[in-house]
Amino acid sequence: MFELTRYDARHRVRGSLYLSIGLSLLAAMVIWVYPSFKTEVDLDQLIAAYPEPIVQVMGVETMASLGGFLSFELYTFGWIILLGLYLAYSTAGTIADDVDRGRMDVLLSLPISRRRLLGERFAAMAVPIVGANVVPPIVVYVGAHLIDEPLAATDVLAVHLLSIPYLFACAGIGLLASVGFDRAGIAQRVALGVTFALFLSESLLTGTDADAVGAIAPMRYYDPNAILLEGTYNVADAGILVAMTVALVVAAQLWFTRVDIA
Amino acid sequence: MAAIELEGLTKEYGEVLANDDVTFDVERGEIFGYLGPNGAGKTTTIRTLLGLLSPTAGTARVLGQVITDEGQLLEAKRRLGYLPDDPAFDETATGREALELHASIKGDARSEELLELFDPPLDREIREYSRGNVQKLGLVATFMHDPDLVILDEPTSGLDPLLQQRFNEFVRAERDQGLTVFFSSHILSEVRKLCDRVGIIRDGRLVTVEPVESLLDRSGKFVRIHAAESIPKQAFEIDGVHDLEADAGTGPSGGTEYVFTFTGDVNELLERLRQYRLLDLSLEEAPLEEVFMRFYDGEVRDSDTDSDGANRVVAGGTGGDDDV
Repeated sequence: MFELTRYDARHRVRGSLYLSIGLSLLAAMVIWVYPSFKTEVDLDQLIAAYPEPIVQVMGVETMASLGGFLSFELYTFGWIILLGLYLAYSTAGTIADDVDRGRMDVLLSLPISRRRLLGERFAAMAVPIVGANVVPPIVVYVGAHLIDEPLAATDVLAVHLLSIPYLFACAGIGLLASVGFDRAGIAQRVALGVTFALFLSESLLTGTDADAVGAIAPMRYYDPNAILLEGTYNVADAGILVAMTVALVVAAQLWFTRVDIA
Repeated sequence: MAAIELEGLTKEYGEVLANDDVTFDVERGEIFGYLGPNGAGKTTTIRTLLGLLSPTAGTARVLGQVITDEGQLLEAKRRLGYLPDDPAFDETATGREALELHASIKGDARSEELLELFDPPLDREIREYSRGNVQKLGLVATFMHDPDLVILDEPTSGLDPLLQQRFNEFVRAERDQGLTVFFSSHILSEVRKLCDRVGIIRDGRLVTVEPVESLLDRSGKFVRIHAAESIPKQAFEIDGVHDLEADAGTGPSGGTEYVFTFTGDVNELLERLRQYRLLDLSLEEAPLEEVFMRFYDGEVRDSDTDSDGANRVVAGGTGGDDDV
């Protein structure tokens, strides 16, 4: 078991390392600009100057503390949007690209069920998902100390740990797209589109009559503001994300066992 | 129990019948050639056998396991090697890594020995491989777990003549050790060199299954006669002369050249020709391409008059008679 996961994981290590370094640089930059930003800009006035939809979409609550600033500049932008889209996109490439390039014939000649092939490929996405969360928390924690805006270590840890089920759910969206379309390019565009639409539906519809629509968006269940500003860790939400991921993977498996490989 | 049994296998793509009620058996220990022009439905049959496509109707068994049952098919795949018509591996991996992945899942009984025969550059990334090298890697992957049955879709495409030769010798030796080989081809000379029996498919329908010799017998000889003076046409009016062509005044010595395909009794032909002075006479086995065309042409005519079932009955009957 897990031969394919091990193989894929090995091939994803280098990319994940670069991803982690890139995100660490982003984190370092956000922390580095914060002190000058705080002294030179009236932050509350800045927020008031942003158009309301932007504030709502980006989940801006406050910029008067490093926690609030990071939550919006780093976690909403870097994790919820960038990483979420990246994982949906990247996972969408797995199965569709194998089919597209004719590798699936060779893979399925192996004594391995389609269900297992899909599950193992998906499991290997743990490498970029976890990898993206290895170095950045250290950078954030140490950086915050260096600029004298210390953050609780548990908060930093929690904001990263709880992003893991969120990112798996985004990858799940990509997996479903990957099975549904046998052209990698199309699967990836669909995954990007759907993930971004879910993000918008969640952030724009909150507080409106259509609020319930956002309930299917993974973004509703990962809230960096609550963690970094209030120190509340919603484990039930993480549970929902896990359930969502499982549902997406099972749906993809059922679909994949029924389709003809083009 | 046959290695592969197809029962009315049908695959429909909208209006197109890629495989139409295909029924035949591949016996254990034989090399079975699956012949047809491009687009005839060979790859559809093969990919259905592998469970990559699900049949619209009918079924098949591979090594006794029903292909539409994933559990059973997996059991068969442990003892099966498959080389697709255009094999592809993870381009970012080296050949060695690709083989290691295969070994970890299906085992590795003999890759070392295979790598001496087919030697892809193992330490290079597959993206740098030529078509031939990918094919060699594919062959190693197909045979490395010492399968009981191999299914090869156009296996020699991309191989140079020397390697084709090596491949042929290897496959024959494996057959002698009990391996069953099912391979498709549109290159007929390859089939004649390798196969025990052939199945011919055209437009998704199985036309015939028969031993390769009987196909060759039926195809007859390719006769070229260079006569000093012209031979009256009536002289050639004997059974088995087809497509007679005459060409007067050929070559420096003049005379007339006659070319035709002959499926009759050679003695009768020679008896007729004795009274004429020949400059040259050659009798060759007809190229299989010719056989193929003849066969196809025949089929076109037959299918206009015969019922659809007739061909299949013949095909099935031949398959049954050849039980090993």
